[in-house]
Amino acid sequence: MLKLIIGLMLLASSHVYAAELSWQDKLSWQNIQKNWQDDVQFHGFLSQGLISSSGNNVYGHSKNSVSALTEVGLNASYQYSSQISFAIQGLYRRAGSTTGKNGIGVLDYAFMDYRFFNDNQWQVGIRGGRIKNPWGLYNETRDVSFTRPTMFMPLPYYERSRGLVLAMNGGQVYVNQFTNWGDLYFKFNLGVTESDQELLIAVTSNPAISGKLNTSGVNFLTQLRYEILEGQYVFAVSYAQMDFEYKGLSPIYNNLQVPIRPLMLSMQYNGERFSLAAEYNLQWNHFYGALVPEIKNVSEGWYIQGGYKILDNLEATIRYDQTARDKDDPLGKKISALSGGLMPAYYLFTHDTTISLRWDVTPEWMLRAEYHRVHGASNISMIDNPDIGDIAEHWNIYALQVAFRF
Amino acid sequence: MDKTVKLSLYFYGLFLFSSSVFAIEIITHNDSGLSLNFKNEENIRAIFSMRQRYWSNSEKIKVFVLADNHVVHKAFAKEKLAIFPHQLRRSWNRMTYTGTGQSPKTVNSVIEMIQKVKQTPYSIGYVDTLVSDDDIKVMGAR
Repeated sequence: MLKLIIGLMLLASSHVYAAELSWQDKLSWQNIQKNWQDDVQFHGFLSQGLISSSGNNVYGHSKNSVSALTEVGLNASYQYSSQISFAIQGLYRRAGSTTGKNGIGVLDYAFMDYRFFNDNQWQVGIRGGRIKNPWGLYNETRDVSFTRPTMFMPLPYYERSRGLVLAMNGGQVYVNQFTNWGDLYFKFNLGVTESDQELLIAVTSNPAISGKLNTSGVNFLTQLRYEILEGQYVFAVSYAQMDFEYKGLSPIYNNLQVPIRPLMLSMQYNGERFSLAAEYNLQWNHFYGALVPEIKNVSEGWYIQGGYKILDNLEATIRYDQTARDKDDPLGKKISALSGGLMPAYYLFTHDTTISLRWDVTPEWMLRAEYHRVHGASNISMIDNPDIGDIAEHWNIYALQVAFRF
Repeated sequence: MDKTVKLSLYFYGLFLFSSSVFAIEIITHNDSGLSLNFKNEENIRAIFSMRQRYWSNSEKIKVFVLADNHVVHKAFAKEKLAIFPHQLRRSWNRMTYTGTGQSPKTVNSVIEMIQKVKQTPYSIGYVDTLVSDDDIKVMGAR
């Protein structure tokens, strides 16, 4: 009986495939190998940066010394059919005290993509798993140095609390439309947002706090992007709703609710030699529900950045970037006065002027040199700068980087 | 190496020092039933930016390109796609490093391009030289 069933199954399957290949052919090693080569791709990137600074620490002990930033990524993607694909990427980072001496390896993304609809004009689908967040112009590939405008991300990218926008554990709906007047990309990510110690410290202004912030309720991050001429002009709006709640042993923070609502407006021009980018970021904050005083404010940040390709493979970039904890108090004077001077005003803003030179030695290798003149310290890592009394207002960052991609 | 490729090499060698004589031509593997109905540069751009991944007969498109800094690649991007090479790279990077797509295969030379397109069913590439081969179709050629 079993033999008969197997026989019928074989017959049935050979019948199904008769139109194209026999099942023996389909299962032959050559064919499996061929499909594997055609449908599976591996890529990766690696970068090593050296940083020296005056005044404050960046990615470890860089102050009057040298610290290092290491980024390594490796990914695989599998295009199973015209509708279904899989992708996974691992990321290793060593970036100062937050990642420890030996660095940290994480799953950067891992998801299945199911495309309902696909033609020359429309792409509609869902992704499930861990998915990169479409925040601004650069976030989705923020750890691939080749795709960043400078070695250090612009301030509105939450480099200190990167977990906020890094990736979402959950799902994504995407709709892409390609028209004669440009391309529209819509993405909606729903799920769990990560938080970290840096975010907790920033929210509570308490470097000694223990415990953590957990996602509460449903978080989402969404973006609508409009591109003309394959990205020669890019316009985007990104918005997120993130709700956190304090979990820990400090009773005064019990039941602390942390809803954060960031919005980003982005524009970019990518010409043959000249490029221009500008982004404007507003973030509505409301910290309440605990015994500590309620905080309600709007943070504001923006930057403008110009790039010029001196040669096809040599590009200079200059950027002015500023951010304020409270947009109604851009230089932190009111909050500082309220604290009786306990909190210096320059903890509440950052103004950063960047000059960067990038040399693409080959399509796979890149070298970069960068200088930052910084006023204010609202965005520095509290873990890399534990001595609050020793934080400088006016400081410099010098950096070199070598990067490889394949 | 077979005759036809040798012939291509001969032509390539002949015009190596005057490559501007030839315009860039898009070539495909000469599969029967392959749809080559490119209405305008938009469609070709969709293929080379890896947005359109399948031919109309549901076969996967195998895209071959030269390195970003190759003179023929630069000319191809500008002449045939009306965009700059760094825009193609931006699209490929976005897909490659977010898992939302795949990148084209890079070949080292125009000669290798011709060989790959000849050997690979459902493939597409481009050249800056005369190609005369039964297995290769030159777009726009009658």
